[in-house]
This record gives sequence, structure tokens and C-alpha cells, in this order.
Amino acid sequence: MTPQESFWSRAKKHITDFIYGMASHEMARHALKTRGSMEHLFILITMGDMLGVPILPPYYSLRLLPYVVPQISTWKRRMLREKDLTDALA
Amino acid sequence: MALALFIFAIAVVMVGYKYYAKAMDQTVIEANPKRATPAVMYNDGVDFMPASASVLFGYQFKSIAALGPIVGPIVGVQYGWLPAVAWLLIGVFFIGWVQDYASAMLAMRNEGMTMGGLAYKFISPRARKLLLTFLYIYLLLIMGAFGALIAPLLAKPNVPVGFLLLVAAGVLAGQMTYRWRMDIGLTTIITVLLAFIGIYLGTMPWAQNLVGAINSLAGDPETGVLFTRPLGYGDMTWANFFWAIVMLAFCYLGSVLPIWRFAQPVNYTSFWFVLFSLVASVLGLVVATFTGAVNTSFEIPAFVTAFQPHLGPIWPLLFVTISCGAISGWHSLVSTAGTARQLEKETDALPVAGGAMFTEAVLGVLSVIFAVTIGVAAGKYDPAQGYKLVAGAAGVFAVGMAKFMAVIGVPEQLGGSIAMIFLVVMALTVMQLVLRFMRVASAELLGDRFPAFKNPHFGTLVAVLLTLFLVVFGFWQWIWALFGGSNQLFAGISLLLISIWLARQGKPSSWSYIPGLFMYITTVGALLYVSVYNALYKGIYLTVQSGEAKTGFILGNLITAGFGLYMTYAALTLLADGLRSFNEAKASAPAAAGD
Repeated sequence: MTPQESFWSRAKKHITDFIYGMASHEMARHALKTRGSMEHLFILITMGDMLGVPILPPYYSLRLLPYVVPQISTWKRRMLREKDLTDALA
Repeated sequence: MALALFIFAIAVVMVGYKYYAKAMDQTVIEANPKRATPAVMYNDGVDFMPASASVLFGYQFKSIAALGPIVGPIVGVQYGWLPAVAWLLIGVFFIGWVQDYASAMLAMRNEGMTMGGLAYKFISPRARKLLLTFLYIYLLLIMGAFGALIAPLLAKPNVPVGFLLLVAAGVLAGQMTYRWRMDIGLTTIITVLLAFIGIYLGTMPWAQNLVGAINSLAGDPETGVLFTRPLGYGDMTWANFFWAIVMLAFCYLGSVLPIWRFAQPVNYTSFWFVLFSLVASVLGLVVATFTGAVNTSFEIPAFVTAFQPHLGPIWPLLFVTISCGAISGWHSLVSTAGTARQLEKETDALPVAGGAMFTEAVLGVLSVIFAVTIGVAAGKYDPAQGYKLVAGAAGVFAVGMAKFMAVIGVPEQLGGSIAMIFLVVMALTVMQLVLRFMRVASAELLGDRFPAFKNPHFGTLVAVLLTLFLVVFGFWQWIWALFGGSNQLFAGISLLLISIWLARQGKPSSWSYIPGLFMYITTVGALLYVSVYNALYKGIYLTVQSGEAKTGFILGNLITAGFGLYMTYAALTLLADGLRSFNEAKASAPAAAGD
């Protein structure tokens, strides 16, 4: 790849990303947020014990635990983080 | 002349970015690409998600640039184009980028906290409460300022059909994407094409006759008065009233329907329409400059007056009239709640937040160019009245846009429709989301005390009625001044927060502290001018002295004064608490470093 091609391909990527950022990023982010919220809600129902909200009998929670492990720390942090109105702005 | 000014503006922002902003980024903030950002550290797939700098630049720019950088400068040039351009460029150079960039850094270095949490942490617990109530009023003023601006545009015979068909194309885009799972590229091509066809259909005689018939339902559309505005700001025609209701009905749907069903796809289709229209008009400007097809020399003097009788003195009014483009508090909300939680590297903050702000200033200068080259000939500014803006500010931009698009072959009548729908779309895409947020805010703030506010329809309806009150009874240029005032106060609060944060670490803070104080003094001055001098003294005291029985007029001025005085009170309380925190931080620095 010549330096000129490299410049143009980089410029093309920047422009594509910029337009994506303006046009679709918010939509894509919202879809991901919706999915993430649903997952967190599911974890709350199944693993509520960890936050002192026992909903499901521990037997089932323990069976589901291995699937949830990768998300536990971020889920806990999000659930316990103090939020206010300005969080909902963007 | 127009092109020279445009190039000069680009040169100024480049110098500002390359030398001043980069120096601050490297020496004071010490952005470190290796330090983990909240987006990377707390990537929870909901609030925190990393994205690339180019994507975020687009996101930030789209989030901050709505009607503000277009309309503010058009009103501001009534003082002359030089003060307007000077404020835009000096403002962005010393204040605007500082706020946008440093608020993103402030949030990033404080675990992605947003403005409410930051006010609580750095100023005081009551600062957060004040900020949140202040936020609701601010959002209401956005609704009022934008709504009063575009309701008359919607009443034009060549606008509503095109606009409604564009909305229909947007709803179809949502259906195709989320329900039929069609390819986004194909969806975009089909719906954007349909939107443009819809706008073209809106200019056909049958469509204009249809709108004309609706506008004539209560007499002549131009002279048929529905009622005289009680605040004394002229008559309200049936056409303006009816289309104001349609506009709010649109916002209502955007607020209560699922976001994927209405607000999001309509905004998506609108984006492409806005992008194509803007590119066409800028191309037209460039071609017109070289071919002389349109007048590109300035018809408004560099300096007109230091006191526009219907607006007020240049200081402080110009500085709140032109907010976006120079500095705007809205940007700090986007920087903290949106961008700071997505930045992958600290070093991306300057090109994303700072870069978007500098770009917006150029958009503001472009708006000044439209106003001063086209405005007088189009009859929008009256030289006999000291270049007073005698028509709607939106009309100035629409005429300019249509003329420049005509240079590259877009028929002027179609160009006029495109330009007006452009403005309507720019405002309404923001307004429906603002209304949505107002509904959430009222549920949060009042839901426990008044459970009815937890109902989405009730919360939205209250916000709609408050907006309707401003749109129907208010005088647009005063609402704009109050909106600008609340916007700039937010900027002052953000700069104060940034200064306290820097002072706590023992870092130089004057580059944010001095601009912050300037914004505070200027904005409080503007709010007091509007609320005390205009509303209380001129609107109430002089009316009572004259013995005229104008209850509606007095009540309206009382409400205006109430808005202005509450915001002044909130601002001064926040300032008092903020200065105390700032002085404590300075006294204890750098021992308290580590935030």
C-alpha cells in the first residue's frame, strides 16, 4: 500500500465513521442499551441475592451463575451507582 | 467578502485548536492515552461503551448543533456583523472549547459522573437540587424558543405536506428496520428518496391549496385574527395557532411512543435530508462566490449600534443571543452524559469535544454570512429601523439557503420549501426528545408528591401545555433571550465545576475560571435586564402608572420576570456555593489531589 493510498483509505474511514456517528450511532447505541438493560434486569431477577434482593431460590441462581459471571462486576456497579436526571440525557 | 470571512473563521479555529487547545490538553490536563477511561473500565453495555474518535466526533457534533448556531447569529447581526463574528470567534477560542472539552475530561476523570453528580460532589448537595429544577425550566425554554420560531414556518402553504410526508417516510424507516428487518442501506435509500419526493409533492398546487384551505377555516389566513395576544405581542392568526397545535402533537407522539417507533427513525431520515440540504447550500455559496450569481457582499454594516431598542444593550444581550457557536451550556450536558462515557482514550477528548465545538463556530459564521448577504434584499432586516429584524429569524436562513441552492440548479420554489422544512426538522427532532426528557424529569421530580406525573401522558401533556403557553403568548425574541440566558448559565456552572476540579489538584484554573466568571456576570446581567427592566419596570410598572387596564399584559410580564428571577436566584446561589468550594480547593491544593 502506497502512502497516498493509505491516506485516502484513512480519510474514507474517518468520513464514513463521522457520518455513521451523526446518522446512526445513537440508534445503534440505543439498541445496545436496550439489550444491556434487559440483560441486567434478568441478572437482577436471577442473582438478586448478591445485592440483598432475594427473588429466585438460590438453587436456580447457582445453576445460572456460570453464565452470568463475566457481567457481574459491571452489573453490580451499574445497579448500585447513584444516578440522577442528568444521567438520562444522553 | 463572504468567502474571505469564511476562510478567516476557519483559520482562527485552526489556530485555536492547534496551539491553545492542544497546549492546554498536554500541559494542564495531561491527557494520557494509556489511562483507562470509564468507557473501557466500566464497559457495561448500557451506560458505558467505547467508540472510536471519528464516530464520536459525528455523534458530538450532531448532538450540539441544532438551531442554536443558525438562529442566534441571525438575531445577533442586528448589532452589526462584526460584533457577531467577533463574539463567535473569541467566544469559541477562549470559552467554548474549554467548556466542551474540559467537562468531558472532568466526567472521565470522575468515573463518568454527570452534571448532577458532579455538582453534588464539587459544589454542594443543594447545588444538585437547584441544577435539576433549573434544568426543567431550561428545557421548557428550549421548547418555547424553538416552537415559537417554527410554528409560523409550518403555517406556510408549501411546508406542511412535505414535512408530514417526511415524517411518514421516517415512520416507514422504523418499520422497515425494526419490524421487517430490512437492510439499513436499502431502508435509507428508499425512505430518503420518499422524503424528497414528499417535499416535492408539498410544493404542488393541490398541496398548497389544501393547506391554504385549512389556513382559511377561520377567515383570511394573513389577516384573520383568532385572538389578540394578551401580552401585547400582536395578533395570533388561526393558521399559526393550528400549526402550533400540530407541531406539539408531533412532539407528543415523539414523547409517548416507543423511541424506535417514532422519534428515532424520524430523526434518522431527517438527518439525511438535513445533510443533503446543507451540502447543497454550501456548494451553492462557494459557486456563487466565484461566479457572482448571488450577492455575496455584505449589506449590513460591520457595526450597527450598541443598543438595539427592541433587544437591549450589546452587552450583555449579544452574548446570550448568540450562544451555540460561541459557547453553550447544553454542550456540557452532552459531553458529560454522552461522550465522556464512550471515549476510548483520554487523548480523543480534544478532537471530539473541542473539535466539534470549533466546527460549530464555523457553522455560526456561515449563518452570519447568510444573514448579511441575503437578509436586507429579502426584506428581513429594515435599514430604516436600524437593521431591525422585521421578519422571523428562521425566514432569513430559509431565504439564504434557497438562493444558494438555486445557484446549483435547485428551483427556488422547491429550495424555499426544502429550507423551511430543514429548519422545522432541525427544531422538531430536538424538541420531541426534549419533551420526552421533560416527561421523565417531571415524573422524577414530582412523581412521589403527585403520582399523576408518573403517567407518561399526563407528564407530557403538562409539558405540552406549558410550551403552548410560551408559543402562543410569548414574544419570541424575549423567549430566545431567556433561553440563551439559561443556556449560558449552564455554561457558567460547568466552567465553575471545571475550575474547582482543577484547583483541587493544584493545577492552573484561570483559563476556565475567568471565562466562567465572565459568563456568570454577563448572563445574570442579561436575565436581570429582561426580567427587571423589561418585564417588571417597562411591562408592569409603566403600564400601571399609565392607568391602562391590561391584566393579561401585566400577568405575562410577571411570568417572564418569574422565569428570569428564578434563574438569577439559582445562578447566584450556585455561584456562592461554587466560589466557596473553589476557594477551599485552592487553599487545600495540592494536598487534596487525586480526583
